[in-house]
Amino acid sequence: MKYETVIGIEIHCELKTATKMFSPAPVSFAKHPNSCVNEIDLAHPGTLPSLNKNAVRQAIKACAALNLRIDPLIRFDRKNYYYPDLSKGFQITQQFHPIGSEGFVMIPSSQGEKKVRINRLHMEEDTAKQFHYATETWIDYNRAGTPLVEIVSEPDMRNAEEAVAYVEKLRAILYYLGVSDVKMEEGSLRCDINISLRHEGSGEYGVKTEIKNLNSLNNIKIAIEAEVQRQSALLDSGEGIQQATRRYDDVAKTTVLMRKKEGSVDYKYFPEPNIPPVRLSQSWIQEIIDTLPELPEARYARYLSIGLSEYDAKILTQNKDLSDFYDEVLKFTKHSKIAANWCISEVLAVIDPLLLFTSRNKLTPENLATMINGIQDGIISSKQAKEVFPHMISGEPFAEVVERFGLKQVSDTDGLLVIIEETLDQQPQSVIDFHNGKDRALGFIVGQVMKKTKGQANPALTNKLVFEALQKRKP
Amino acid sequence: MKQYEPEYFKTLAKQLRFSLSDTEAKDIADEFGILLDQMRLLDKIDTEGVLEMVYPIEAETSFMREDEIGHTFTVEEAMANAPRKAKDHFVTVKVVG
Amino acid sequence: MNFNDYKIKNDPQTAAYKALEKAKAVQGKLNAVVSYVDPQARLDELKEIEPNGKMHGIPIVLKDNVNTKGILTTAGSRILGNYIAQYDATIVEKLNAAGAVLIAKSSLDEFGMGGTNLSAATGPVYNPYDLSRMSGGSSGGSAVLVASGVVPFAIGSDTGDSVRKPASFNGVVGFKPTYGRISRYGIIPYASSLDHVAFFTRNVADAATSLEVLAGRDDRDMTSLDLPVEPYRDRLNADLAGKKIGILTNVLDAIHDPEILSMFNGLIAKLKERGAEIVEIEMNQDLLSAILPTYYIIANAEATANHSNLDGLRFGVQKDGDDVDEVMTNSRTAGFGKLIRKRFVIGSYALFVENQDKLFRKAQKVRRLIVEDLKKALSEVDGLIAPAAANVAPKLNDTSLDQLSSTYLIAENFMVMGNFSGCPSITVPLGYKDGLPVGVNLTCNLYDEQTTLDLALAIEQATGLSDQIKEVA
Repeated sequence: MKYETVIGIEIHCELKTATKMFSPAPVSFAKHPNSCVNEIDLAHPGTLPSLNKNAVRQAIKACAALNLRIDPLIRFDRKNYYYPDLSKGFQITQQFHPIGSEGFVMIPSSQGEKKVRINRLHMEEDTAKQFHYATETWIDYNRAGTPLVEIVSEPDMRNAEEAVAYVEKLRAILYYLGVSDVKMEEGSLRCDINISLRHEGSGEYGVKTEIKNLNSLNNIKIAIEAEVQRQSALLDSGEGIQQATRRYDDVAKTTVLMRKKEGSVDYKYFPEPNIPPVRLSQSWIQEIIDTLPELPEARYARYLSIGLSEYDAKILTQNKDLSDFYDEVLKFTKHSKIAANWCISEVLAVIDPLLLFTSRNKLTPENLATMINGIQDGIISSKQAKEVFPHMISGEPFAEVVERFGLKQVSDTDGLLVIIEETLDQQPQSVIDFHNGKDRALGFIVGQVMKKTKGQANPALTNKLVFEALQKRKP
Repeated sequence: MKQYEPEYFKTLAKQLRFSLSDTEAKDIADEFGILLDQMRLLDKIDTEGVLEMVYPIEAETSFMREDEIGHTFTVEEAMANAPRKAKDHFVTVKVVG
Repeated sequence: MNFNDYKIKNDPQTAAYKALEKAKAVQGKLNAVVSYVDPQARLDELKEIEPNGKMHGIPIVLKDNVNTKGILTTAGSRILGNYIAQYDATIVEKLNAAGAVLIAKSSLDEFGMGGTNLSAATGPVYNPYDLSRMSGGSSGGSAVLVASGVVPFAIGSDTGDSVRKPASFNGVVGFKPTYGRISRYGIIPYASSLDHVAFFTRNVADAATSLEVLAGRDDRDMTSLDLPVEPYRDRLNADLAGKKIGILTNVLDAIHDPEILSMFNGLIAKLKERGAEIVEIEMNQDLLSAILPTYYIIANAEATANHSNLDGLRFGVQKDGDDVDEVMTNSRTAGFGKLIRKRFVIGSYALFVENQDKLFRKAQKVRRLIVEDLKKALSEVDGLIAPAAANVAPKLNDTSLDQLSSTYLIAENFMVMGNFSGCPSITVPLGYKDGLPVGVNLTCNLYDEQTTLDLALAIEQATGLSDQIKEVA
């Protein structure tokens, strides 16, 4: 029986701010446990929340990039439940009035571009990290209170490819905005997939299953496919689907039951009395929208417009840090295609793009550009460039490397002619062969000249001069 | 289980992570009657078209905190009151589910 | 002694230890103290600075729901029986900056949830005027330590009249300013949309000075008011010419004690003599009758959520269990008193999705109507006045009051309107019935602290009752 798959995705994204959503303690980066908390994060009695302006700014950026309508009045609510990783026993979230509503993104699909609608984007705070051992659970509250945005899509996706494309698109946009590290494997981007099946053409939704613990795009694909199979089989057999939450098991490559939904949990939402409604000025919101950084789509289009192939443009766009570096290189050279090749093939092969703008990277964009210009201007050959490059990675300026290794390409016509005449004197048979129509003779002489110049002769020029010289010499 | 029976309140209490003794649950069940009477006084009041009042003073604020690191506990302060701890983690019995 | 007396004497060392001694001397009878605080470190600090602070060298008491770094802070509950606060409440920082010297943390109804102070983990607090009677609550400990002359100032909190009612029972001044006037950061909460930091003094002028010390915007409390702190004490003006005071007739009609009515009418006559225009104000009776259930629903619901952090995992008393839910449950069962658990159950009930409309949201709507009616009443006058309680402090086991009578619903609970609306409200002594204090309550318009203090001063002058101390033999 053929069913239609209906997929909706909830994404939680940790924001890159200096401090927590409601407290001035630092957002931590895998530091010593419980070293990035204060009385608010530990929910000591008597503490009160104070809203992080930068978190709101990041949320607005995300809303703008995802075409969401922005509510200029920020309101928060309490979501009440007991769990050891939730220090207050409630999470401050935006249940009733999300900051962003009714947006969309376009994703590539088998039918061309497809619109996936986004229901809401709201701000909330992250929970602590638990470490489960045999008889104990250890808790580190460093992560507690980290600003989060939750992005909820409409159930507009119909297969695993679209789901992956949606997550990829969101991830790229959020990364380009600079609001998050969006590392699925580290948890700064978390995906929950809601999936149900229904008969094709049916207007109603089937019973849905929620899948959690998906920490890579590939796992999303596998999990969805496994779940479609599982649900199809149950529907075929007449057993039906029970609403539940399932966990993706990376070893078994299937989903495993986590908990059944016995009636839904009542979180007793009510408005947060300790935070009055916060009025955002229209001018502040507009300024944030007006200064949004370049997004992936725009960057891709820009690369196409400067002559890059779709493939190169795609590779660069998918790697923001690399293309940021590439853009810097372009400030010093106009050979965009060559520069793209160098970045994609050579730079990427030797440096982690995340390090490109740190002190661990000694290759400056300007230096690389100088080398690229050098190749195009004939100072060195592209073959020689491959020898030069490793030294530039260690930070040595292009000119110095060339100087040091005497690699300067011989483009001096007179000098070359001397060597060419000398070579022809030594190879009279080649002259005869050339005039007998044997083309190989040309290549052979060129090769000999290259040998004599230790590979530094400008190949194009050498070719030309040898050809002319051969023509002039009478056997 | 009927509403307002002691068992009902015991279940409510469980959801709030504490328990009631039989006597305590019965007390609440008995008192609930008075409470319901008092709540009926609310019913007498027409609130058609009236918005909920969440804050005593309904002024919007424009204040948001600058994203600068401020008061942070030392690890000692954070762990000072911990009933159980290990290697600067809070420790509890294994969490299920 | 009032603030000025301490200032003139300027001997913080003696003052602090005298207060401490006296607190210990009366403890057997009043049971008002949870923890004594050694003031020496503080006194040493004071020696290094100029005695310019507005409360320099004045010994004070804080209700034990105020976080004081390094000092046990229990909120009157067993669950925090071992909680050493790791930070100072904002008001503690301000009191320290003003030169005040803390000598004790005082008893309260558990988490401030009660009007009797009988639910404190450390046991009941007794009334200095009659030890067989309650102090009232929830700020009972603070009230009696001021009334018995131990300290001239004590912090309380007022969520549903928890400072203004015990002030009446103990013959002292109890002032609850406008909501947000004093920062709540570091005050262990009861119900966030009703909680006010409030305080006791023995005269109105000292209340004015105290307000200057405590008030002011605190960015850590997003509900705190961004308004300037006026020189309330210097500006005090008891002249009633041109002032219009409204008698809240609904409350008067619900009071049946002839002595109290007579005292009140006597005051009214004096105020008239002093130039005030007195009018009768009648508010909507149904709305006033609904104050108590509205309060219970909102307060208990918010309180339940507020105390969900008390799970025994990061601080506080912890009991064993086989899994973490059991640990939480056992800790909270052992740690929370019976009354609190009852309140939490009821509070939570109102928040269930299926009940919210009828209960929680309904109560929030009725709150609005009550506040609108109050503001309408206040729009016509400078302040509304009524006896602060229908009677004197009850006997310890007094359960006689019919919980559905208008006396109970209206006369005993009308001051909660000050919490619903955030309006500034003060109780000052009215007189004595059979040697037991009776207070009068005054509520004024939002942000109008000066008028509140001015009118209160006029009342104080009219009754001649200030700096009353009941020595506990």
